[in-house]
Amino acid sequence: MKVLLIEDDKDVGGFICAELSAAGHSCVHKHNGEDGLREALCGGHDVLVVDRMLPLMDGLTVIKTLRDGGFASPIIVLSALADVDDRVRGLHSGADDYLTKPFSFVELLARLEVLHRRASTPAPNTITSLTVGDMHMDLLKQEVVRGETKITLQPREYKLLEYLMRHAGQVVTRAMLLEHVWGYHFDPQTNVIDVHVSRLRRKIDRGFDTELLLTVRGAGYSLGAQA
Amino acid sequence: MKIRKVLTSITFRYIARYVMALSATVFLLLAFLYGYFSYTYFSELSASIVDELDTIELVYRGQSIPGVEQYIDDRLAINEIDPLYYLVSDAQGNKVAGNLPVSPRYREFSGGWMGFQIDLLEWGGSTEAEFLARAITLDEGFRAVVAGNYADAVEKTELVFRTLFRAMIATLILGLTGGFISASATLDRIERLKSELSTVIRGGPGQRLQLGRELGSVRELAVMMNDILDQMELLMQGVRSVSDNIAHDLRTPLTRMRNHLSQLRSDLETASKADVDSIIEECDELLTSFNALLRISALEAGSALSGGADIELGALLRDVVELYEPVAEERGIDIRFECHQVYYCKGEIDLLFQMFANLVDNAVKYTPSQGSVELRLQTRPAQNDVPGMHSIIIADSGAGIPPAERKNVFRRFYRVEASRGEKPGHGLGLSLVQAIVHYHRGGIELGSNNPGLLVRVKLPQL
Repeated sequence: MKVLLIEDDKDVGGFICAELSAAGHSCVHKHNGEDGLREALCGGHDVLVVDRMLPLMDGLTVIKTLRDGGFASPIIVLSALADVDDRVRGLHSGADDYLTKPFSFVELLARLEVLHRRASTPAPNTITSLTVGDMHMDLLKQEVVRGETKITLQPREYKLLEYLMRHAGQVVTRAMLLEHVWGYHFDPQTNVIDVHVSRLRRKIDRGFDTELLLTVRGAGYSLGAQA
Repeated sequence: MKIRKVLTSITFRYIARYVMALSATVFLLLAFLYGYFSYTYFSELSASIVDELDTIELVYRGQSIPGVEQYIDDRLAINEIDPLYYLVSDAQGNKVAGNLPVSPRYREFSGGWMGFQIDLLEWGGSTEAEFLARAITLDEGFRAVVAGNYADAVEKTELVFRTLFRAMIATLILGLTGGFISASATLDRIERLKSELSTVIRGGPGQRLQLGRELGSVRELAVMMNDILDQMELLMQGVRSVSDNIAHDLRTPLTRMRNHLSQLRSDLETASKADVDSIIEECDELLTSFNALLRISALEAGSALSGGADIELGALLRDVVELYEPVAEERGIDIRFECHQVYYCKGEIDLLFQMFANLVDNAVKYTPSQGSVELRLQTRPAQNDVPGMHSIIIADSGAGIPPAERKNVFRRFYRVEASRGEKPGHGLGLSLVQAIVHYHRGGIELGSNNPGLLVRVKLPQL
């Protein structure tokens, strides 16, 4: 995955680049809005990570300019502003995701990979079924079968499993689950998500030889692949 | 040194200015009175002298010298309080009539006026006296002089003036001395206060000003200073307890992290990823704490909500309950929410969700198994000027919060003593709840559910 990072803070930028390289991705780092915009227009980047506050041209303007010009690659906005308003404005400007500083690198990486995968998988909406290992989900009938066993799920459990299956093999963080399965963006005080996931795990993994739903310590969960 | 201090003190300078202004006023008043009296007296005297000379001239025209002699004798026979004095002399300068000695040494004044001095003792008067005189020349070298004694009146005026002048000097001296004394007394009190204050500065926050024998406004000042010191101490205690709590909350995860690291060091060969993962989890806990703290600060520092989206409270609360249902079920807690009506309010949906999630999280956390958590949504429509309010009640059957603690639990890092170290949490949940409620112009109160805690959140209606 080729990442273009537009971030004026040298420490944060350096850290993200180093971690991305360590995770096997390439990273180009630009320090201001104008340089970043020029670099992005040259093309060749899979995902953009853009800080909101940038010298010369602010992050949202960069994103708007790119989107107006038909730029299609996914973009994540980074921001030190924790206001809900800012989040909404960030997403309205054409960004695909929004992260508030301070964030953990795991969170950023998980989101980057999900965005990258989504962008590189053609027309995901036409899919009518999902398969991970021996588990099969029929999106039209809303049915889940593992091996020969039909699994009965509550509506929320179904949504949770669907999200996990759509991102099978990828690390999905708790914050991502809250945002996409529950539709809220907040910090739970306790392990509410873990309880939901372990319930789901009981239903889909109990009685089977291989565990499909794995916990990735310090990051989140992953369905069907060793992290 | 002391004298210099007193002289430059505000009190002394104030009194000195006052005394000097007073003296100057009195001096001006006296000068005016002196001038006025003198002028009035002299103008009356000169008028009567001119009258008398006119009469003598008339008498001389009618009856010549013998008539004048007769007239003057008649005048002198009347014993007047302020008598006039006469002299009529012939061409050779010999006295013809009158009671003045022959030709005293005249001093010439302007306008035909003359002045002279005679020792009245020589001719039976009291003492040396000053006279104002005017002369007319009659026919055949006769000359008439009429004079009036003014020494008396002038002396009296001068005496009063001199007395008052001395009194003024005395006032000045006494006033300044008094000012000096009272200024030094005030200065002493201020010095005492200063030395008390320096004791307080040296002695730390527990020290207070000794009121002792101070009275009046200085005492009030000292009492107020003590009040300020009390408040400062209270604030300092607050800050200290907050930092104590921060230290406590940070110490536990840091200690665990440290232990893990030292263990990891000894197991370096065999250390597994899981060990590192648990350290990372500790770090995440710390980060969560700081994030919550920053969010609270951001909410409290900013202005209240303006605009916001229309939010259906019932749906929001159902989502919260649904999110926490598995946790409650796992702990054997019955969680209920029923609402069949649709209520809207303005707000930021993520913040409101965070708030209710925190409250439900607390309720589930502090309720023992087999207990229950109940959510209720009520609404009071707008009446007259009172805007409508939604009130959301979250009631549990846990231990509740004692009334004395109900205010404290909203403080950052504050945790009811019994739960510190026992239950997970960073002591910021309710602080964040309060910040979000205030951001939405709402209110929150804690009560008892007999037994358990009853939280009532009020949010303004759409």
